[in-house]
Amino acid sequence: MKNSHDQADASLDGQLKPTRRRLLGWLVAGINLVVAGVVVGPVLGYVASPLRRKAKSEWVPVLDEAELPVGQTREASFVLRIRDGFAETDQKYSVFLHRTPDRVMAFDPACTHLGCRVKWMGDKDRYFCPCHGGVFNADGKVVSGPPPKPLEEYPVKVEDGRIWIQKKV
Amino acid sequence: MPTILTPEEPTVRPVPEPKPEERLRRDRPSLGDWLDLRLGWWGFVRKNLDEPMPPGVGWWQTLGNLLLTLLVFQFVTGFALAMYYSPSPTDAYRSVKHITEEVTLGSFVRGLHVWGSTVIVIVTVLHILRVFFWGSYKKPRELTWVVGVIIFNLILAFSFTGYLLPWDQKAYWATVVGTRIAGTVPVLGHALMLLIRGGEEVGALTLTRFYASHVMLLPALLMVFTGLHLYLVRRHHIAGPVLPQKGRPTPFYPVQLFKDAVVVLGGMGIVVYLALAFPPALEAMADPSGTDFAPRPEWYFLGLYELLKIMPAGYEVVATLVIPGGISLGMLLLPWLDRSPSRHPARRQWIIVLGTAIILLIAIMTLKGILETPPPGHGSGHAGLPVTLDRPLA
Repeated sequence: MKNSHDQADASLDGQLKPTRRRLLGWLVAGINLVVAGVVVGPVLGYVASPLRRKAKSEWVPVLDEAELPVGQTREASFVLRIRDGFAETDQKYSVFLHRTPDRVMAFDPACTHLGCRVKWMGDKDRYFCPCHGGVFNADGKVVSGPPPKPLEEYPVKVEDGRIWIQKKV
Repeated sequence: MPTILTPEEPTVRPVPEPKPEERLRRDRPSLGDWLDLRLGWWGFVRKNLDEPMPPGVGWWQTLGNLLLTLLVFQFVTGFALAMYYSPSPTDAYRSVKHITEEVTLGSFVRGLHVWGSTVIVIVTVLHILRVFFWGSYKKPRELTWVVGVIIFNLILAFSFTGYLLPWDQKAYWATVVGTRIAGTVPVLGHALMLLIRGGEEVGALTLTRFYASHVMLLPALLMVFTGLHLYLVRRHHIAGPVLPQKGRPTPFYPVQLFKDAVVVLGGMGIVVYLALAFPPALEAMADPSGTDFAPRPEWYFLGLYELLKIMPAGYEVVATLVIPGGISLGMLLLPWLDRSPSRHPARRQWIIVLGTAIILLIAIMTLKGILETPPPGHGSGHAGLPVTLDRPLA
């Protein structure tokens, strides 16, 4: 059975050859694709622009060395001036510092499971995540719960009597 | 004189309308006639009012109309909120506080929007359950179902993006976790998270991205797919009860339309009551450095939240991607998974059993999450930071 397009082709025979008709149809489709691409392509690149941003590392002093005795864990906060998209803001951050006999460790408080902030419970010597029940020991290692890896550790240096961490911003 | 209607032959009009040409020949056509000749509006309205309802169609078939009405009202209240809202980390919280506390009827309008979203999720789920148990997704209505599933996902996306906008603690931390979930996707996860967040951290660019999606992209998509859904519903007509009942189809107007109106009145009554009795809360402003806040998602994501708790280490992708993705895909493909030609639940047992099991599991996990929710105020706020709340939290 002929469909309506074929019938239309037949009725137009003599005015336009089917091949010419089809060619023009393809050209219209092509032009539309180009026109759409001119807008959609750049918009997609624009939306994906955060993928191109490179993080910089910065050393930040977070605590006086004397305030962290050996064997202790404590939370320190610091402020960094960061570029947050269009805004330049003073962003407050937290870091957990733990001192062993040989070195100082600094942990990002973000749980490695899904990013909730862990809480240090000194009496239990553990970090607890309030969201999905992740537990870490003082060295940042997973004790129980769903986190797939230890707490993220920042590079640390002790200089001029202060503890510095290297933070990506 | 009653009109005999069958689903195949929708309408036999009792009194034929005068043909347009005849009306045009009238000496003085009324304004209505003049407009109708150009718009063809009455034909469209009559066709929809005369839409045949098979016998047995009743209250269960009113949910779609309620949903449509609630969505339109979300658009209206959302427009009103956007007039006073500013999507930036420094201003978002203050602007929502301003809406809630200073703008005339601001708390009420925000309450309608917040509670409207919750009621929409409930009504959507009921609507889906009705279609599932009645088997109304079967030939020739497969695409009506598929488009409906897409709309359901759009509604969840609305709720996820809207949740961040007040920029309070709850909003911020639920989004930190929610966007991190995208990061668990193998290989592409990190890039996906960067794209959603607009950067490594949830910040100014996340807020503008969520805002732009919430007020422009999602409404546009919702309108397209809702239009398509309605077109398909009318094209294939209402499926009717599982076992055809005796009697003749009746026109949509007035009986079914009246039932629709009653349900819309009841549904809107509930939203208004909730908005008045439980004004929307605003917690302390988002504090990215806080380690003292226990984030929780909106209640209808609590099932997923509980699932994440019980997943062993290294298997979180099962809870974040495999199970929710599997359910979504299963829903999309339902008309082709359930190949039994019968709509009767007893003749498509495996899909009914599987569907019921999944629904029960989601319900149990959600209930578990709700029961474990700490009372309001607990765990919110941050030691050492001022928590200014001039009114008690709902």
